[in-house]
Amino acid sequence: MSDNRLTQTEPSLNAPVADLVNIKINGLDVQVPKNENLIESARRVGVDVPYFCYHPRLSKGDAANCRMCLVEVGMPGPDGTVRMMPKPQAACTMPAAEGMVVLTETPKIVKDRKGVLEFLLINHPLDCPICDRGGECPLQNNTLFYGPPTSRYIEEKRHFPKAYPIAENVVFDRERCIHCARCTRFTEDISGDAQLGFLKRGADMEVNTFADTQYQSKFSGNVIELCPVGALLSKSYRFKARPWDLHSQKSICTRCSNGCNIKIDFRQDKLLRVNARLNEDVNEEWTCDRGKFGHDYVSSDDRLTTPLLKSNGVFSPISWTQAYSLLAEKLKAAGANSAGIGGAHLTNEDNFQFQKFFRKTLGSSNLDSRTGRYQQSETALLADRFGYHGMGNSIAQLQDMKSIFVIGSALADELPIIFLRVRKAYRFRGASVVSAISVKDTASPNVGDFASVEMIYRHGAEIPLLNGILNVLFTENLLPANTSVDLKGLQQSVTEWTPAKAAAETGVAAELITEAARALAKGPMALIAGKEIREHPHFETIAAALGNLMLATGNSDNLNIPELDVNSQGAKDMGMLPNYGPGYTPLNSPGKNTQQILESAARGELQTIWIAGDQLVEHYHDPALVQNALYKCPFVVVSELTMTETASLADLVLPAASFAEKEGSFTNCERRIQRIDKAFEISRDIKADWLIFSELAAMIDGSLMPFSASDIFKEISETVTPYAGLTLKSLGESGTRWNLSSISKSNKIFTAIYTPPVRS
Amino acid sequence: MGILNLLFANREVPNIEDIDVYEKHGGYAGLRKAVGMERQAVIDDVKLSGLRGRGGAGFPTWIKWNGLPKNYDIPHYVICNADEGEPGTYKDRELMLKLAHTLVEGMIVAGYATSSTAGYVYIRGEYVEPAWQVRKAIDQAYKKGYLGKNILGIEGFNYDLYIHLGAGSYECGEESALMSSLMGERGNPRLKFPHAPLPTVSGVWQSPTLINNVETYCAAAWMLANGGEAYAKLGTERSKGTKIISVSGHVHKPANYEIEMGTPLLELLETAGGIKGGKLKAVIPGGSSVQIMTAEQCTKINLDYESCAANGTLLGSGGFMAFNDRTDVVLLMKRTAEFYMHESCGKCTPCREGTRWIYKIMDRITSGNGQKDDIELLLDVCSQIDGRSYCGLGDAAAWPIVGAIKAFREEFEYWIEYKRSPVGKDAVPPSPEVVNPLLTLTPA
Amino acid sequence: MSSSESSGVRVPQPDPIKEQRFSPAAIAEMEEIASHYPERKAACLPTLWIAQREYGGYLTPSAIQETADRLGLSFSEVEGVATFYTMYNLRKRGRHHLEVCTCLTCAVLGAYDIVHKLEHELGIHLGGTTSDGEFTLSEAECLDFCGAATVMQVGDKYFTQLTEDNVMNLIDQLRSSEDYTPAKLADAIVKIHIPLSSESGGGSAKPEDLVLPAGPML
Repeated sequence: MSDNRLTQTEPSLNAPVADLVNIKINGLDVQVPKNENLIESARRVGVDVPYFCYHPRLSKGDAANCRMCLVEVGMPGPDGTVRMMPKPQAACTMPAAEGMVVLTETPKIVKDRKGVLEFLLINHPLDCPICDRGGECPLQNNTLFYGPPTSRYIEEKRHFPKAYPIAENVVFDRERCIHCARCTRFTEDISGDAQLGFLKRGADMEVNTFADTQYQSKFSGNVIELCPVGALLSKSYRFKARPWDLHSQKSICTRCSNGCNIKIDFRQDKLLRVNARLNEDVNEEWTCDRGKFGHDYVSSDDRLTTPLLKSNGVFSPISWTQAYSLLAEKLKAAGANSAGIGGAHLTNEDNFQFQKFFRKTLGSSNLDSRTGRYQQSETALLADRFGYHGMGNSIAQLQDMKSIFVIGSALADELPIIFLRVRKAYRFRGASVVSAISVKDTASPNVGDFASVEMIYRHGAEIPLLNGILNVLFTENLLPANTSVDLKGLQQSVTEWTPAKAAAETGVAAELITEAARALAKGPMALIAGKEIREHPHFETIAAALGNLMLATGNSDNLNIPELDVNSQGAKDMGMLPNYGPGYTPLNSPGKNTQQILESAARGELQTIWIAGDQLVEHYHDPALVQNALYKCPFVVVSELTMTETASLADLVLPAASFAEKEGSFTNCERRIQRIDKAFEISRDIKADWLIFSELAAMIDGSLMPFSASDIFKEISETVTPYAGLTLKSLGESGTRWNLSSISKSNKIFTAIYTPPVRS
Repeated sequence: MGILNLLFANREVPNIEDIDVYEKHGGYAGLRKAVGMERQAVIDDVKLSGLRGRGGAGFPTWIKWNGLPKNYDIPHYVICNADEGEPGTYKDRELMLKLAHTLVEGMIVAGYATSSTAGYVYIRGEYVEPAWQVRKAIDQAYKKGYLGKNILGIEGFNYDLYIHLGAGSYECGEESALMSSLMGERGNPRLKFPHAPLPTVSGVWQSPTLINNVETYCAAAWMLANGGEAYAKLGTERSKGTKIISVSGHVHKPANYEIEMGTPLLELLETAGGIKGGKLKAVIPGGSSVQIMTAEQCTKINLDYESCAANGTLLGSGGFMAFNDRTDVVLLMKRTAEFYMHESCGKCTPCREGTRWIYKIMDRITSGNGQKDDIELLLDVCSQIDGRSYCGLGDAAAWPIVGAIKAFREEFEYWIEYKRSPVGKDAVPPSPEVVNPLLTLTPA
Repeated sequence: MSSSESSGVRVPQPDPIKEQRFSPAAIAEMEEIASHYPERKAACLPTLWIAQREYGGYLTPSAIQETADRLGLSFSEVEGVATFYTMYNLRKRGRHHLEVCTCLTCAVLGAYDIVHKLEHELGIHLGGTTSDGEFTLSEAECLDFCGAATVMQVGDKYFTQLTEDNVMNLIDQLRSSEDYTPAKLADAIVKIHIPLSSESGGGSAKPEDLVLPAGPML
């Protein structure tokens, strides 16, 4: 028995299943799923089988190469007596079968493990003292528990250059590599860019990229965590700390709306690295590179640490007291003639205080967290059928789809973790993927690379494309029969859109349209629409057409038009909308949306604009309008982490806390509310946005707003219906999804009128 | 016992590689007979013959043939392992060069018996000339209607035969690595039963796949023509029929000899003209992977699976190498270790690291730097590889070293103690002082 | 293993494809060979042979890229294949690539003497190429013609029963031949894959051209 030591940390993917077999592990009887590998079965009885190459999420075809998990296996013969197999067997690929006997700690196995470790170490440099992996290294751990005390190898070891820069953020120490094929399998199985592979053979075999080119991937950081030795290392974390000197805080990645669970590792007030945190429902155990390497800003030297006031075009530091007096004076004067923009990058608590401060204290509903092109009513068109624009599916549900339609999305860039789910559905669950996009970036791996049908359409021709697909579905009778919806009108409206006509209009070959329709007829089918659709001038019409397709194919719950920023979903839930209060309660007198605020400010009609954590100048589709508006508005407040271009146009800049410095919650694109905790504090003069609003409200009218994130969340749970009954604490480590069940649905078919784009 | 030419019966016939000549000498009679039988009857005939795989493992052939599922919703494939790579073996080379039609016939019979849609002859890349002959034989067989659609007028018997050449890898002779290579991958072995389904259930492209050696298919062609019973009458009780043995080394008449199973080793040695350049010192009876036998052991061995195994060696692929007393077994083993180091695919730890370590120890010993414990170290390293590697190559790398230490331990000890060859300065292969350190592992 | 698990996935690569040297005839050959298999990926080895021929006897990174691109495989996967098998040349070879078998039987029958003689006479070490580009000398693992030891492979031919004394005659013969053997070998191997009946002409159009090697046939 191995005293429950755990030499590896991979999550077990065991799920209870019906088909069980009885096996005996080290004398313990246990029921395990038939064909489960013996490493997993052994875990069920607390037996640790050491390994390096095995990983539950990677294909097993290239596993069983490290030979660390050898166990003795016996099978019952026809007469019932157990015959032990003459050779030890790799537990990671050995399927459990009825009556199997497994021995993991026999003298033979103990010796075999010593042998394997001796082999692995003969060419390993054993430079643990200067290795970043030291202290959290499976090779160290396994050697400690199972290895030989010394080596008999007196020959020369292999030598390679240290810290070869294999990717932008990853260095490769080839001497330390034990050829477990985890990284190569990751690029093939999970990220799909297939850039790492084995070259040469035998003892000369090495992991490399094609012709020594740089490993370019949106997911390269994962190989650092997958590597069971210190061969693949983070460039930025290299030589920064020993793992036992790090503090770790559970958190949520802020770089997109997927809401990946992460751990932030830090020393004092320096964020040193970001690692993935397991959440089967969201990111499994992956991160994208943007998330893993994109949080340097938190500890950057450019962080603002004091309020800055501009006079004569020059910023100079002022105290918070001065800042608050100034704010109180200006805002009181402006009253309802003020506006607030932003929130998509703030926590739910920040947003809730933001809108409450503006609505209650200032009496203004000129509030909008949406800074994309579409800012019309959130109830238009689809809300009654699909809920508020967002995702019908959870991220995890996507892997159970038989077909997935990704339209107008460079998914791997926009929503990297959803991309990984789609790829998982394709690679491990046999789903077929259809991709449609108008501009394809050929240099960068994306959904199109593994899609069974890839369509590149003329921008603006989305409706003809969808009509063409519907036409095929109707003509070939591929739609489910017992739909409760009357599709006659829809059918009639697409009759003219034969594949040939659609092809002429979209620039996609007619055969591809037909093929796509056939692929999409396999249900359940999910649709994911991306930025190209969201930012489309005819977004509403296209969304209606997408809705029709989903309704007709009987997949009306599977329409996904995800939000793209970290908390744009949550900001809307909190009522950072001109026409809705918290929880989408309609307002009698709506305020202005972002575009209207900017236009009105540009006309000189607004006295104050408050921009919270939004780089409007940098990202708004009409930057000139933003500049003009901020120039014309007499008093612009920006709360930011660093001096962004937008902040530099403000009159008053407030130093705001990053996600690592505050408590609170984010709501991701699938409406999962997840909490973040404070890791460290950089300066006492950096304040969370919610705190700024609370303190300011107290100054202006003495009103008492909550002074802790959990208190604010309590108020949220009382105000925002879908959040009812939740507390920050009850969100737990993997968050809670709020569902759309409260929203009544209709099965209305909308008319999607095609406006041909004007072509020169 | 002794020479018995079944497959080689027509070896010396002029132009036997031509289909007309081949047919005149009874060629394709086995196929014609087979297609007149029920498919299962063909398999039963193979069973009756007692034929065992001639590639080295000696697995009963009929079990494979019978193992392919009998439902045909996905295509079945027949593969011929013609990646002859075992040092000392060159029987498949000659079979393909002279009797390519026998191979083609055997593969068509197998295709018929298993209802396969296509066959692939996987030939090692170096075998250009034998492969040309197979090419010619296949093309002629197509012309005659033995391949293609509705073969021999049998409705629905459609079968194509393709050639796939390797590109230099011993490992691809291992059947699962061969499948990898055939599918366009690196020649890495694949998971085997019970970790994955048998190839006969899920082989290449997840389809049922039959893999046999060249000689096995040739023997199948013969037995279909002459009856499994006739074949079963030959040989010993458990090793039926004949086996082609490739004799090489210090003998006067090195050649392929087809012998009846059970022929005494020394009888074959005599047939091959006896030892030249000295006295018999050792024999490797079944290719470089099997244990070396001393001259004394050789007197006891009959060439069949059981007798070889009883004497601690294997009949293997029939790569019979005889060595005279000028041979330095330690240097020979160093070259063997070099071979396995070079041919290890690198996939699994014991083989990748162990084969190089063995070579380095052997190199050290034969460079005069041997240490007292090196023999024990070698044995232990070998035991850490044997049975622990992903595929059989690791075992094959360990066995000869262990076998040589068992049979010629005093020579290892001599090298370690006196730092020179026990055989003297004319030893073969020459010791490293004479030759530059040769193989680098880096592919050129 | 699900069927999709093994399927090759077309991956756009950071490096654009630099060259395309496959002639129309070569592409026809490749397509013919690819049609022999249920998956295109299986044509990887033969297509690398085509590439080796089209790129002048060895595989440049461009040759690997072009192979990968034409078969819809990733570059690193094809490079992994190309570096696994010893018969693919990753560097330019001499006009005659002398590969002397030094495995067991050949080793005890004088292969090392031949290697040594060749090194001495040609003035190169193993792995080296003569300065005039005529010869590259390598050691080969068992060529499996042990009965005719010592064996040397040059291009598509085996030369057998070599000794220290007769090997230089062979070298003289080779020197006077016109062939560029690395490409000739690649061409022969490609042609062997192609049936007579195929549209691209077929390799067997000329099996009668087959020149049998020196030495006795066993």
